[in-house]
Amino acid sequence: MSQLKIYFLRLVLFLFLQSFIFNQLEISASIHVMIAPLYLFLLPFERSKLSLLLMALVLGIAIDATSNTFGLHTSSLLLFAFLRPLIFRVFSPREGYDSLKSPSIFDMGNRWFISTFSILLFSHHLWFFILEAFSFNETLLILQKTILSGVISFVVCVILQTIFIKRTG
Amino acid sequence: MQNLIAFISRIRFFIIFFVLQFFALSTYVSFMSAPRSSYFTTASYITGNLFEIRHSITQHFLLENNNKALQKENIDLRKSSSLFLYSKEAQQSRVEDSSFAQQYEYTPGLIINSTTTKRNNFFTLNIGELHGIKKGMGVFSSKGVVGIVHNTSEHFSVVKSVLTKNINIDVLLTEVGASGMLKWSGQNSNIGYVSGISNDISIPLGSKVVTSGGSGIFPRGIEVGLVKQTRTVEGEASWQIDIEFSQKYGALENIYVVRNLFLDEFKTVQNQ
Repeated sequence: MSQLKIYFLRLVLFLFLQSFIFNQLEISASIHVMIAPLYLFLLPFERSKLSLLLMALVLGIAIDATSNTFGLHTSSLLLFAFLRPLIFRVFSPREGYDSLKSPSIFDMGNRWFISTFSILLFSHHLWFFILEAFSFNETLLILQKTILSGVISFVVCVILQTIFIKRTG
Repeated sequence: MQNLIAFISRIRFFIIFFVLQFFALSTYVSFMSAPRSSYFTTASYITGNLFEIRHSITQHFLLENNNKALQKENIDLRKSSSLFLYSKEAQQSRVEDSSFAQQYEYTPGLIINSTTTKRNNFFTLNIGELHGIKKGMGVFSSKGVVGIVHNTSEHFSVVKSVLTKNINIDVLLTEVGASGMLKWSGQNSNIGYVSGISNDISIPLGSKVVTSGGSGIFPRGIEVGLVKQTRTVEGEASWQIDIEFSQKYGALENIYVVRNLFLDEFKTVQNQ
């Protein structure tokens, strides 16, 4: 299968999982599992910054349309796409990124994946819950939601990679 | 000039990000207060139908409880209808119709998509403008108040449930006769709170909370819940009264949309 086809199928899969499975999972008020950031994270290294933003826009609008959040997901995914190149530059290996590799946990190793993805996911979740609450009176609740949901989203994202991504080497 | 162009091209990425972010945030803020279109909500044609399909699969899970609730409501209605009562005096068996006028009209509907654990929870209904549903109408179930219609399309509508920030439904504590505003703190879908009741009134625990009909959206007396706990708010002269909702919103399917036939008249009188 061509690269493009894989990414398109993956987009449909992530949309389905986020809208119909994880948005409907009502575990507790503080847990909101969000896996859409993983899609943006797994796009190839050589993708331009601009196409990342546009991808975030498309993905965000599609998720917002199915979860009555009117721009909340779009806004936080845009932030994720904006921060991704910055964080990738900070954690870049000495010889630069290998364009044959993808930014998955298998290609880049546990340490690199945990440090980059957790920073990005944490900022995404924090931004999302701040906007959702929209008030300073709920600071503690926002932090509680960010940490609990962040940890669970992270674990789910790792599990998703082990299921759907072919290991190379 | 050359420097300026070089500078702009250097921060081009940031500018695009900023513009898109502005777009997303402005739709978020404007939709939360007053939605203008239904394209990017579950009231739209595509997502509405997707949730209709999902509902056709999952509806059977709640069937038993919903049937019981409806059956109970039927029994209550039969008890109150004069047709099913034994009349002691033959002449008084009929209600004098000319002394009453119908003020509220009810449209039954189904919730096809709902969440209860988010900060703002919206429910999607399978009825829309075609059935006469308009923005701002009240929604309730046989056990309690549900929310207010937020957005409509031809076949679907989105309800801003009581499980949202700033829902502000007028409620009344029947036992003490005080009225306040219903709000939700966002943590527990079974617990809401009432604000705006002065703390020199003592509130007995377990008092009944019903809609007051103050804004003309709901009829007076639709159940909301029972008082669970009263708390003082620092620096304010009013209680924060925690109430337990009588309706469990997680397992809700059958609802009624209520339309006040006198709403225009009510509004003109209030604005004078």
